[in-house]
Amino acid sequence: MSDAAASTAALDPHHDATTSTGIPNKKLLMWAFLASDCMFFGCLISTHLIYRLHPPPGNPDPREIFNPPLTSFSTFILLMSSLLMALAVSAIQRGNVRSMRHALLGTIFFGCIFLTCQVYEFSDFVFDKHMTITNCILGSTFFTLTGTHGCHVAVGVLWLTLMYIRSFQPAEGTSGNAWFLRNLLHMALFVAAIGLSMYLVLDLVHGLQAAALTAALPAFLRRDALFLAGAIVSYVGLNLLGRTRGPVSFNEANAIDVESMGLYWHFVDIVWIVIFTVVYLLEYI
Amino acid sequence: MSESASPATAAGGHAHDESKFHIFVQLAMILAVITGVEIIMVYLPFAYGVIFSILVILSAVKFLCVIFYFMHLRWDKAFCTILFFIGLVLAGGTMWALLRIFSVSDSKPLTSSFNRAAPVHETARG
Amino acid sequence: MSPPMQDALVKTNFITEEPHAPAKHLVLWRPTAKTGLISWLTTVDHKRIGFLYGISALFFFLVGGFEALLIRLQLAVPNNTLLTAEQYNRMFTMHGTTMIFLAIMPLSAAFFNFIMPLQIGARDVAFPRLNAFSYWTFLVGAIIINLGWFMKDGPPNGGWFGYTPLTTKTYIPGHSIDMWVMGLQLLGVASIAASLNFIVTIINLRAPGMTMMRLPVFTWMTLVTSFLIVLAFPAITIALVELMMDRLFGTNFFEVSNGGMPILWQHLFWVFGHPEVYILILPAMGIVSEILPTFSRKPLFGYPIVVFSGACIGFLGFGVWSHHMFTTGLGTVTTAAFALATMAIAVPTGVKIFNWIGTLWGGHLRMRTPMMFALGFVWLFMIGGFSGIMHSAAPADAQQHDSYFVVAHFHYVLIGGSLFALLAGIHYWFPLMFGRKVSEFWGKLSFWVIFVGFNTTFFPMHFLGLNGMPRRTFTYDANMGWNDGNLISTIGACILGIGIAIYFTVMIFTYFKGERVGRDVWDARTLEWSLPNPPPEYNFAVIPTIHARDAWWYEKHHQEEIEKEKAAHAGAEASHGGIHMPFPSIYPFLSAIGILIWAVGVAVIDPSPAPGIHLKLGMVFVGFAFMFANVYLWSLEGADGYHLHPHEEHNEPSQQEAHQ
Repeated sequence: MSDAAASTAALDPHHDATTSTGIPNKKLLMWAFLASDCMFFGCLISTHLIYRLHPPPGNPDPREIFNPPLTSFSTFILLMSSLLMALAVSAIQRGNVRSMRHALLGTIFFGCIFLTCQVYEFSDFVFDKHMTITNCILGSTFFTLTGTHGCHVAVGVLWLTLMYIRSFQPAEGTSGNAWFLRNLLHMALFVAAIGLSMYLVLDLVHGLQAAALTAALPAFLRRDALFLAGAIVSYVGLNLLGRTRGPVSFNEANAIDVESMGLYWHFVDIVWIVIFTVVYLLEYI
Repeated sequence: MSESASPATAAGGHAHDESKFHIFVQLAMILAVITGVEIIMVYLPFAYGVIFSILVILSAVKFLCVIFYFMHLRWDKAFCTILFFIGLVLAGGTMWALLRIFSVSDSKPLTSSFNRAAPVHETARG
Repeated sequence: MSPPMQDALVKTNFITEEPHAPAKHLVLWRPTAKTGLISWLTTVDHKRIGFLYGISALFFFLVGGFEALLIRLQLAVPNNTLLTAEQYNRMFTMHGTTMIFLAIMPLSAAFFNFIMPLQIGARDVAFPRLNAFSYWTFLVGAIIINLGWFMKDGPPNGGWFGYTPLTTKTYIPGHSIDMWVMGLQLLGVASIAASLNFIVTIINLRAPGMTMMRLPVFTWMTLVTSFLIVLAFPAITIALVELMMDRLFGTNFFEVSNGGMPILWQHLFWVFGHPEVYILILPAMGIVSEILPTFSRKPLFGYPIVVFSGACIGFLGFGVWSHHMFTTGLGTVTTAAFALATMAIAVPTGVKIFNWIGTLWGGHLRMRTPMMFALGFVWLFMIGGFSGIMHSAAPADAQQHDSYFVVAHFHYVLIGGSLFALLAGIHYWFPLMFGRKVSEFWGKLSFWVIFVGFNTTFFPMHFLGLNGMPRRTFTYDANMGWNDGNLISTIGACILGIGIAIYFTVMIFTYFKGERVGRDVWDARTLEWSLPNPPPEYNFAVIPTIHARDAWWYEKHHQEEIEKEKAAHAGAEASHGGIHMPFPSIYPFLSAIGILIWAVGVAVIDPSPAPGIHLKLGMVFVGFAFMFANVYLWSLEGADGYHLHPHEEHNEPSQQEAHQ
């Protein structure tokens, strides 16, 4: 544990005077971890590409399975989420907690859109195109690769949510137990809001694909009234809990944690850049 | 314990924060446009090799933009860049080696089309 | 009044202030115990964590050794019936897995943890709680791999390298392989977490003046090994994920009937596996690079080139993996490329050997026990290297592959190499860790018995291999011409076992009743020797300033200058409130418990419908939730600490009993 010559004046997010190199420990840790994750995804992508070199007879043609418009849309979404993440980091480095919260919410929102698109894509491939993870080698490699990436996105969304909630921690002097329970409630509301929203969007989309708008919409409302109510309640709850009450113990000193999280999120984005090109686009040349 | 803790660095670090907002937004727009170009590219009637190369280059540009700007490597100490590139180069090299190994004729499974003397990417339709 | 020097790490002598740990929230509990079981479960002290790794490693080393003895007893005579073929498969699988992952690696980790922060002048590693988590996760992985001994499906039996399609569900439907997969995954997680920590520590927590080229070679090797771990383990992670997906969900990664290629497993495994063997040997080379200079009373010959060679070996190690696959039909170009790369990697290794010889040359050699083991390392590792070079010629390897020649090769480099160096390290650093020195007579006796036993066991295997005896076969016929070689080898194994028994007995005896010694008993060169035995909780009372390589040697020969510096720094640190120590924490331990439950649940799942599926799924969810809850609380707890002031009297060597 390095000796902290405790000087809190003029925190520079790019320079930590207590370390030998000036690089903050957490930043160095995250970059080393990302180097490791490069090898991780490298091997997974290699597996997929190796199996695309010599597809066995009976292996489906990706061009008959993939949905380029959907995947392009997801790619844009992830790119925009990366922008919002960078803005969140920038905001907290300037000590602006409110802007950071908004940018984090935006990142979470876009991340969830990406995940919803992925769930839609998977269910489309499995149920409509009849490519499952077990019935062909393309399915095995594709779902494992993009599924692992999706898990990384989900972990990122979880982390973002927890960081967002953490930014409401009241400054010292308030009762510890009450805040902790409020914390748990906030997490539960996020789980409900995200889960219900994803389900509702997917159900609506499937409904619209099956029938025209005039028929699908009322059917959807009837079918999912309860879920819809639940979602609305969650959003209202999130809104209420999202109001600041007094000083919080979250400022520039926490910027390093947000920045580390940001590095992870951007990495997930660049892995997708590689996957999008190598798994999707290259099949269409 | 640091060997050089200069307050001057602290002040300089904040100077460009205000303008970073614009850099980020502009960069995001550029990346979106590049993505659009990539998507259109695959449907254009050029040779496989040409389109492949352009796609690789465009993806690399996006990749580098994200790591150097969004992930701040441009303004951080060089060691962070070196650290990440060690992993990246190793992963890339391993991937390249594996793909070369599996492209050699000895590695082709007996069921593959190679034995029917047809180019690999065309048989994907089978 | 300082308490008398106790048996080291069981109690700490340096309780200065009780850490006042304010409880933050409903469920956050700050442990304060400094002794007893809870203090061990919640420790974040790198020295205690190193001790835990060491104890665990030595325990599993005995387990693996016992498995080896059973193997040798089975092979002592032809057509033996001590073990069935099935039991034999389990023995060599567990022996390999245990020795590599549960003995050598954690023993290296014990030294990384204990010694490295002391060598760079740090108070602890960069992330103390993550360090504790690495140890507990390692222990969980070790438990999972060995749980099979108590289960119906038995312990893992697919070889330590787990080749598909043997390890797919078609050929081994039982859960032995699933336990192996999950255990190995967790060992990987533990290793990666620990190595990330070490990288940040070495790069960022060096004392002032400690430039990279003044680092002790052991610390350099820790750094290179840590890089190897974080970059190589992901490959086996992916391989294991793919195997687990095949076994659990029926994917086709290695399923030939649906387009899978089992050879892919071999590639991914060896992309990890080859750097892994450098992970096993580089720490050992680091230890030897500390011991030889100390006992030659000369600085290491060619320090920059030794460091550079270590880094080269690490880097080149990623480009040679297919030399484990020369007989799989890779094709001419691939085979030639990997053969060339493998020959190239011998160069930096040879360079290091010449530098060690150069260190000894003209030195005033003191043949203490650590020196004997270190010299044993140099020569035995060289022999192993020769047989390795013989493998690198692919045509020759076509005969040697999967024969006992390979077994001879890797045991020379792993026992003659890694183990000898680690045994040397235990002897060398024992006085620092425990304040006691091992008796020279018993130490040397254990060395000679081990040396003779080891060579008797493994030298004949070169000939057995060249005479065609294959690996991994549980018995052989009497008319193959292998009878004498096997019998001699088994006798050697018994001698080796006796040698190890002597070594362990001596260690245990010394720990409790050995000769007490003062500080710096070997008149050594590196910073860890500047501390009292055992080092206080906070390591350095005053963070030293480094002026040269072999920093402690410099301090001993420039005492006045150092005294003045220390006085100045002590004042500065006291005025900042004292030494900052991290709080202990229960969450790393509890998170690992959650992971244990989750991993076992995943490993024992049968495809539904099957009895007990609900219990197993329950284990998966409960384990995951428990782990998540504890990681979350860990994050809420924060990296806080407390301050303490060092006791003056413990800094004076004259106040300690000093025997010589």
